[in-house]
Amino acid sequence: MIKRLLALDGVMVVVRFRDDGQFVEGYGLLDAQNMQRLARFAHDYKRFTQGNADQFSMFTRLPGWTPPRGWIVRGRTHSACCIGSVACLVANGEVSLNEVMRELDDVSHF
Amino acid sequence: MGLIGDLMGLPGVLAAGEYSYRGDRFSYEGQMTPEMARMASIMCRATHMGVHMECDMLGVFCPGCGLVPSRGWAVRGPDFSVCVMANVFCFADNTAGSMNRILKLMHASLDHASREMI
Amino acid sequence: MQELSSLMTLSGAIAAFQFTDQGELVSHQIAPGAEMDEIALDMLSHVCVANISLASMQARGWEGLTGMNGFYPIEGFTLIGMDWTAVVNGHRGVVLRNDKGDIEAAYAALAG
Repeated sequence: MIKRLLALDGVMVVVRFRDDGQFVEGYGLLDAQNMQRLARFAHDYKRFTQGNADQFSMFTRLPGWTPPRGWIVRGRTHSACCIGSVACLVANGEVSLNEVMRELDDVSHF
Repeated sequence: MGLIGDLMGLPGVLAAGEYSYRGDRFSYEGQMTPEMARMASIMCRATHMGVHMECDMLGVFCPGCGLVPSRGWAVRGPDFSVCVMANVFCFADNTAGSMNRILKLMHASLDHASREMI
Repeated sequence: MQELSSLMTLSGAIAAFQFTDQGELVSHQIAPGAEMDEIALDMLSHVCVANISLASMQARGWEGLTGMNGFYPIEGFTLIGMDWTAVVNGHRGVVLRNDKGDIEAAYAALAG
């Protein structure tokens, strides 16, 4: 199911991870060891983002921020995106982030 | 007396407590309201998780070096400091308190504790 | 470099380093034989800057909600590792052995 992300322009790698951070599956232009690293990073960063969103809600008393649904880290040429337990690496110059996030949202429900 | 009681016995320590790694419980002693202690637990847990993740990444660059895996962390403001090791936190006054003594107590009590965050 | 040299005289010093606001390593010194290098110190600098930033957010929120001031601005961050501890204040830091290091002396030296 997550493999269909690779059909989108600019998507280089897609991985799925378990709640404990274990790698489940991955596809794209990355070797097996780095796929597992990406899954571990995405899992850890998801928890980190959840922690920050919880604190933001706690300090501001603003509703609607927690639990966070996903995150994007944007570098100069590449970005990492995640919704639920599915994450992907994309090339900034080729990708439509809106499209990728929509698709991630869709596959993360399965 | 236990680590929390021992920490509270040190000069300059304002409050000390424990949080669960699951984020569902906390306990404390000292000069804080329960709501402040709940917030402190949320903050300390979030930072501890982040430091743990960052040190795992640091370990890729210096495998086997003495900084990894992480045991804890501390931050220092103008008047107060916070020290955290494993799931134990301690708030201290910089003038009256001694970070060396706080961390020494924590090391003595927690260095052999399990590193599993459960 | 003179400043980093004086940090290396602290008891149990493994390394001393200086970094930018973004966490990029500017200069460093490493004790002979220590299992530490420039790449790891650059990563460590980024870890410290990330946590000072995180702690600044927390200090801001904490002071705003509780009225208990004295945490902001965050001045220093300490990372306690398995056998070593990194102490950072401002844009400089020092890595100390846990069994020999004096964190308060490190903060005093870094503030000086």
